[in-house]
Amino acid sequence: MSQMLSPDMTIAAEAVAKAKIEVKNLNFYYGQSKALKDITLSLPERSVTAFIGPSGCGKSTLLRVFNRIYELYPKQTAEGQVLLDGQNVLDRSQDLNLLRTKIGMVFQKPTPFPMSIYENIAFGVRLYEKISKAEMDGRVEQALKRAALWTEVKDKLNASGLSLSGGQQQRLCIARTVAVKPEVILLDEPASALDPLSTAKIEELIDELQADYTIVIVTHNMQQAARVSKQTAFMYLGELVEFDKTEKIFTSPREKRTQDYITGRFG
Amino acid sequence: MSTAASLHQSRKRKNGVMMTLCVVAAGIGLAWLALILGALLYKGLAGVSLSVFTEMTPPPGDAGGLLNAIYGSIVMTIIGIIVGTPIGVLAGTYMAEYGRFSKLTTVVRFINDILLSAPSIIIGLFVYELMVRPMGHFSAIAGAVALAILVIPVVVRTTEDMLNLVPNALREAGTAIGAPRWVVIRSVAYRAALSGIVTGILLAIARISGETAPLLFTALNNQFWSSNLNAPMASLPVTIFQFALSPYEEWQQLAWTGALIITLTVLALSIFARSLTGRREDK
Repeated sequence: MSQMLSPDMTIAAEAVAKAKIEVKNLNFYYGQSKALKDITLSLPERSVTAFIGPSGCGKSTLLRVFNRIYELYPKQTAEGQVLLDGQNVLDRSQDLNLLRTKIGMVFQKPTPFPMSIYENIAFGVRLYEKISKAEMDGRVEQALKRAALWTEVKDKLNASGLSLSGGQQQRLCIARTVAVKPEVILLDEPASALDPLSTAKIEELIDELQADYTIVIVTHNMQQAARVSKQTAFMYLGELVEFDKTEKIFTSPREKRTQDYITGRFG
Repeated sequence: MSTAASLHQSRKRKNGVMMTLCVVAAGIGLAWLALILGALLYKGLAGVSLSVFTEMTPPPGDAGGLLNAIYGSIVMTIIGIIVGTPIGVLAGTYMAEYGRFSKLTTVVRFINDILLSAPSIIIGLFVYELMVRPMGHFSAIAGAVALAILVIPVVVRTTEDMLNLVPNALREAGTAIGAPRWVVIRSVAYRAALSGIVTGILLAIARISGETAPLLFTALNNQFWSSNLNAPMASLPVTIFQFALSPYEEWQQLAWTGALIITLTVLALSIFARSLTGRREDK
């Protein structure tokens, strides 16, 4: 199925921009069970790509391969290639910590570290850069501004990150990710635990961030995918069913399964 | 009466019976505690005076205090905690972080649970064979080692449990930002679990400050002031044990007072530990 589609997919991607991430014949296993089946697709640079599909279709799994975060757990294995600027991140020799500074990730539930708002952001920066206090202040401010959180927290930078509301916490996590200057930002259902207003803010933010970053967002919410992304991948049972420009997926999908899913006939 | 109503009635009766049984059982449990505390306060308070904290344990028939015993207890408890805590915290960290999915962790956890419930007199005998016999004499340091061995399983258990309570999402977040594993553990997991780990250490202090058996075989006792770690040292529990069994009234009174001091110390530690965990849940 995916082999049949791959030529079209490359065309769709190339039409937009240079590919930042290229996935080639990727298989993924949880122990014995195969969660991703021969995925091939390429994600254009400085653009938002959405992964949609019903629960358990493998969209989060695919995202978690990009920064190899799955390796925190045993018995999870990936086969194939994931090229970041042409370099295979699945290579044994790949330095994982450096990879993760290039590919940031924001999770479904807001995960502020148990420290102050300031420290939440400085933490990541300090890992790989030695900079003065003044420079750090600037970086923190810049990151918070980038995440549209600065005006809300500028007077309480020393308050615990946990004291913020859910939506603010999520923007803090985005700020923290942006602060280490990644090239790619992975968003794993970043708004699914948030109220509509906070969701709107996050979506606005994603829209702004794509000028500088390659963004991949996994979402359950099809309207959200339609609103924020340039191209959308529809996945089902571990397969990539269809990958195309978002308006194409939502108006005239090639596949019947995509059509059924986006019109709410299943999933 | 309709079936539904009669069913409701019979359930209400059963509920009433069960609740009464539970309340009575809880009452019995609490009553003993209240009796023990009451007796301790009644008998112990009578002997509380400044001299308890300033004078040494007296010879039979004489007045005196518990200073050397209090000092010995504090010294051996502190050494026990200093030796036992790092080992316990590191082992717990291995089990909850590095070795979370390893077979070794399951084995260590099982053995640790056995150690946790091992009678403390066995620990005392073990250290007696390990240190007292080769050294040829009882010593404070042997007592402290016995206490340290008691500290380890408590701290291992609480450290592991508390680190396991830290959501994986937080570890993933730390990892996803490019932090190496040890930094994630140090700066994220430890911080998130800090109050719980400290609580475990406090509980370990509470546990060892009342232990008698392991000290009987190791530090023995000392009627005089001694700060020599290589010599026998007095401690509150052993002094209480010795004085309470004696026929002398002054000694018995000091035993009550000593028991009160230990109980209040442990109570204060437990309350402090509780307040730490309480604050954690508020967050």
